[in-house]
Formats: sequence, structure tokens, C-alpha cells
Amino acid sequence: MKFLQRFKLDSVLLPLAAILVCCLIWQMIAGKSVVSTKVDDWGDKVTVTKRLGISKDLPTPVETWNASKLYVLEPFAKRGELDQGILRFSWLSLKLVAQGYFLALVIGTPIGFFLGLSKRFTTAFDPVIQILRPVSPLAWLPLGMILFSGVQVMDANGRTTFGASDAAALFTIAICAMWPTVMNTAVGVRAVPQDYLNVAKVLKLSKSKTLWKVLVPATLPYMFTGFRLSLGIAWLVIVAVEMLTGRPGVGGFLWQQYNANSFAHIILCILAIGVIGYVLDRLMSVIEGRFKSV
Amino acid sequence: MIEIKNASKSYDGTQVLRDIDLSVKEGEFVAIVGYSGSGKSTLINLISGLVRPDSGTVTMNGEPIVEPGPERGLVFQNYSLLPWLTVRENIDLAVDEVFRSWTKEEREAHVTRHIEMVKLGPAAHKLPKELSGGMRQRVSVARTLAMNPKVLLMDEPLSALDALTRATLQDEIADIWLQNKTTVIWITNDPDEAILVADRVIPLLPTAPATLGKSIAVELERPRDRRAVNHDERFKALRAELITTLLDSKASRTSKVSMKLTLPDILPENVEDVNAFGRWSRRAPKRRNENKKEEVEVSV
Repeated sequence: MKFLQRFKLDSVLLPLAAILVCCLIWQMIAGKSVVSTKVDDWGDKVTVTKRLGISKDLPTPVETWNASKLYVLEPFAKRGELDQGILRFSWLSLKLVAQGYFLALVIGTPIGFFLGLSKRFTTAFDPVIQILRPVSPLAWLPLGMILFSGVQVMDANGRTTFGASDAAALFTIAICAMWPTVMNTAVGVRAVPQDYLNVAKVLKLSKSKTLWKVLVPATLPYMFTGFRLSLGIAWLVIVAVEMLTGRPGVGGFLWQQYNANSFAHIILCILAIGVIGYVLDRLMSVIEGRFKSV
Repeated sequence: MIEIKNASKSYDGTQVLRDIDLSVKEGEFVAIVGYSGSGKSTLINLISGLVRPDSGTVTMNGEPIVEPGPERGLVFQNYSLLPWLTVRENIDLAVDEVFRSWTKEEREAHVTRHIEMVKLGPAAHKLPKELSGGMRQRVSVARTLAMNPKVLLMDEPLSALDALTRATLQDEIADIWLQNKTTVIWITNDPDEAILVADRVIPLLPTAPATLGKSIAVELERPRDRRAVNHDERFKALRAELITTLLDSKASRTSKVSMKLTLPDILPENVEDVNAFGRWSRRAPKRRNENKKEEVEVSV
């Protein structure tokens, strides 16, 4: 019982306390609205709303909640293209992330294997990779727009279902999210114990069997570390991509609300992005843990 | 059957094995005993084909050994089971590859027979991490035997096990050998184990580089009972002979150490060179920084 109490205190109460502290700091920084009535020169009563505080325009936690209640309590509502429930927006973003992420894994994993297996390949391509790796998604997106400017897939009604901006978004997510997968797979392949390779040699396993029965399973834990980091990056990139392309999604919504001076919604978006990113990371580390234990 | 002639092997300029001559007849059980780190594993890797000799030849039935193959089954010191496969799958992997022409049923029966042979029937669907060290090594032995190798190469197969498990497995493997009579080359660091299991024991002398000593024939009847054999005078004599050979060669071992010796002296300066103008161009006092390299014989 005592253990349970302790456990609850440590793993539930302490994080809650930290969140509370953050909210307090937020409250202190945020401005507050002071409503006063006064009589103007014409003798009419007017109410004047003035904001005071360190950051006058930052809404307080309560104001944020009041402004974004609608989006949170009806998370799947669709009122317009850029006026949807927060989870509906997130779902749109996640769909795109999933596609781009899938591309990143499909391209990144084999590259990682080549890097891990061949020293010459590594020597040749390492500089290229090191140069491309730190490039920001904001820099890739315009290139994607140019590359895929001709892409247009239309449905029966003549509406574009997959346009240049979608292709560019996928391209950006894939090329930015691929690097952790590439690097970790390469490291994992290099770290395959010599013993396993000796077994493959003594059994005279064919090349493909060595790959699928020995190399891939031995590399899986490393690969999944890469996959997890890649997913994190993919989720980072989506926001930037949506902001620039104006696609409906969590990032697009954020940018639109910034333009509409609706600052509470920006905070809502930030929190939603954070929470979803956290959930994705947890999910991936559960999967990763399963492979690590083998 | 296995012939090694004048084989030598070095790693990074250090010779590990020199002038190895070994000849193993078909059906013979040979044990090679040596100190840890004296090149035993290198020797077995030469035979398995994982390592090629720098000079000399390694042949099997007259054919030079150039790469590993299933006809020379190798049992690894650390078992080297694939941890993501169950016991059965580990053995399947070997059998499927070696007996491609067999039907699925034949292969399955073959695998089952070998699992039964090492008494692992109930554990067939377990992963290696769920098994004890002794059980893992049994899987490894079964995997190797399932390939029907012409030669069984054992690289310190039991050295990672505790003494009791070790004794049990020694007896079990000796039994299996009595049934199959394949050629076995068994590497070990335990003289008792070597004498107990083998027909012939060859010490690997820890000279640097290591060489093989004179082989000692073990003419004890099989099956050998480890309780009885402990009091057997022949066993005692063999053990004494083997241990003496190994210890003597260790005592006579010398090694060369080469090191840099720096002499801390400064050469006298020519005072005439020092004047007011010469100060800028003057050389610093010369040091005799010539590093002398000497070779010193140190006995270890």
C-alpha cells in the first residue's frame, strides 16, 4: 500500500504539480482584460476593454480554454475547410505524416543497409548525407514545389485530390524524416555481432537468407530507434509544411489563426501538436522496447 | 582426413600460430588443449575455413579448405544461437539450407530427431534466452550435428558452463559420438576434459607463436565413467604428462619487448655563438633527442 502511494505520488502527482507551476507562470506572464465603463464626451456610457500585463496580448489559461472549448469539445466537427475540430485537423495532418513517414522508411532503410554493409559506399556517400541532413524542412519545401509542380490527380468531379503542394509536402517530410532511420540502420548493421555472421557463413546461408534471417533481425532494435526518431521529425516537419502550403491541418489552422489574431487558438494548436507528438513517441518506444527485449 | 601442413597465421604483425602440422584420421576424436589466448580458436577457425592461413595448407580429403561449409560443423564457444529464433527454428535454419532436396516432412523429422537426441524435446519452442547455458550449448550441438557434418569442430564448447553441467554435457557428447562416430576436433583449456573425451590429445604449446606439441594417445576403454577414471592409474599418468608438457613450455616462454628509451641529457652549448646580435638567431640549447631503440630480452 505504501508502495502504491509512493508510486502514485511520484508518477502522477509530481508531473501534475509541474504542469500547475507552468500554468501559474503562464498566468503571470499573460495579460488580463480590464473592463471599465466611462461616459464619453456625448454623454453616452461606453465600455472600454484594456489589456494589462507583461505580455498584453497573451491570453490567460482560462481565456484560452474558453476560446478553444468549441474545438476541443467537438473534436471531429467540420464547420468549414479551415474551421474544424482539433482532432479532425490532427487526423488530416497525421494522414499526411503517415504517408511521408512511410516513404522515409522505405527509402531510408535500404540506404542504411547499404551504408552499413559497404565501407566504400559509406566513404562515397557520407559527405553527401552529412550535407543534406541538417537542411531545414523550410528549405526543402520550395524545391519540392518546383519538382512536383506538374503533379495533379483529380477525382471524378474534377476536384484535385492530390496536387503539387501535397506532393511537395510528402517529399519534404520524407527527405527530412529519413536521416535518423538511415544513420541508425547503418550503425545497427555495423554492430551485428561477428558470431551471427560466422553462423551464416558456416551454414552457408544464401545472401538473401543471411539478410532476412540474420542481418535484419539483428538490426531491428537499431532500426526501430531510427524509426522512432524519424517519426518525431516527420511530426515536426508537418507543421512547417502546412503553414507554408496552407493545407488544412493542425499547422495550417495555427497559421490561419495567427493571421486572424486569434492567439488562444495558437496555444491550443501548440498543445495539440505537443500531446500528439508525445503520444506518437510513446507508442513507438513501446514497439521499440518489444524488439529490444528479444 | 583433415591435414594441416606448416600452417602459420599472424594478426597485425604478431604471429599467433607457427608451423602447425596436424593430421586427423576419419572417425578420430582429437582434443587440442591449450591456455586461453594461445591461438586455439585461430587453429579451429583455420580448419573451419573462417580464417585462411598466411602460409602452409589446410586440406580436407586432399581438397584445400577455402571457405566455411556445412561439412565441417562448427560448435561455437558462445553458442551463437540466433536469439530471435526458437530452438527448432535455429536448427531448421541449418537443416533447410543443407538439405534443400529433402521434402518438408523429411526435414522436420530430421530436426525432431536431433532435438530429441540432445534431450530438448519439451523446450523446442523456447527462445534461447529462456534456456540455461547448458541447454543453449545443446541446441548449438544439435544444430551442428543436424547438418550431418563430416567433421565436428568444437571450439571450447563447454568452457562457459559450470563444472557440473560441463561434466554432464561431456558425457552426453561422448555418448552421441559413440553412436555416430564422426570425426571430432575438440578444443579445450581443460586437460581432464580432453583426456576424458578424446582418443588423442594434442597440447597447443603457449610459445609465442604457438605450436602443437607431441600428441598423446588416450587408450582408455569407452564408455568412460568419470568416477572410475579418476582412480585409473593410466588416466593419472596421462594427465600428469599433459600438464607437465603445458607447464614446461610456459616456463620456457620468453618474449621480446621493444621500447623507446629517452636519454635526458643536453649537449654543451657553444658559448662563442652567443652575442648581442646573435640572440635572435641563436639556437636553443641542443638536446640529444635521439631516441634509442633497444631490444631487451625479458623472460615471463
